Amino acid sequence: MRFEKTQRTPLVEMSNSHCLIVGECYPENISEWSQPVLAALEDCVGTQDSFDVDIELYYFNSSSAKFLFDFFEFLDDKADEGVSIVVNWRYRAEDDTMQEAGEDFEEDIENCTYNLVEAEPADA
Amino acid sequence: MTNLDTVGLHEFMQRRKTLFCYSGPLTEELLTTISNPVRHQLTENETPEAIANRVFGVFIEQAQNIIRYSSQKTRAAGDSVGTIAISYIDDTFLIEAVNQISSTQKSALEKTLLELSLKDQKDLRKLYRQRLKDGPPEDSKGAGLGFIEMARRVKRFEFDFNDSEDNPMFVYRGWVE
Repeated sequence: MRFEKTQRTPLVEMSNSHCLIVGECYPENISEWSQPVLAALEDCVGTQDSFDVDIELYYFNSSSAKFLFDFFEFLDDKADEGVSIVVNWRYRAEDDTMQEAGEDFEEDIENCTYNLVEAEPADA
Repeated sequence: MTNLDTVGLHEFMQRRKTLFCYSGPLTEELLTTISNPVRHQLTENETPEAIANRVFGVFIEQAQNIIRYSSQKTRAAGDSVGTIAISYIDDTFLIEAVNQISSTQKSALEKTLLELSLKDQKDLRKLYRQRLKDGPPEDSKGAGLGFIEMARRVKRFEFDFNDSEDNPMFVYRGWVE
């Protein structure tokens, strides 16, 4: 499943084993955008033994933070149920805002393997 | 039309080094449209990406606060009215927003912002995570995180209520460097 990138929403690609999120996230209406994404996640995670997540966001607003929190909470619950889940939070070098955001989410994750990954600089 | 000082407006904006200003009805659709030129302006001064992102983040939260909470609405569409501006003075960005609020909103807002102004970055970070877990307070149309988010991104902020009329004007200024 694929949710195309728009000016205010990231690209989301979802399969039974992998989820990729790249871009900026400050939708006009967060629940309108996030509900189908979370529904797709629920359909995909658990159909196989393992699930990998790659997230690379350059900016998200405070309303989207709640979506990300719910997203990780769902993954962590699934990992608790036995699915092997790896989350890679990618941030650009020197983007301390996104680095801190990644650290903040990490603190509430207990059952997923969570990696903070410094990505290539802008426009790479 | 002589009292509409057009050149004066231009010179005033130039003098206060305002690189972007919008005043009028603000909607999410309009915010989508103005986001691009704002981003563009922020890269004009060879601003490091991390700083530009911080300025943009404060700008978006301020704009969405106007959209959600301004008590001044257009007659036909009911769109929220406010003013938002970004200026660049002595290597520091100033992001400003003004909108009318109801007197009932004022006391809650004042309390929230006073509390935030006393917290250091570590406490703000802790509060942000706590609020994410707890969910929004009852009177919030967003996640209730907007002002905490802004406080985390700015070097300092000021707020004020201009009480000259029945409905107070809420003024918020944040500095990013």
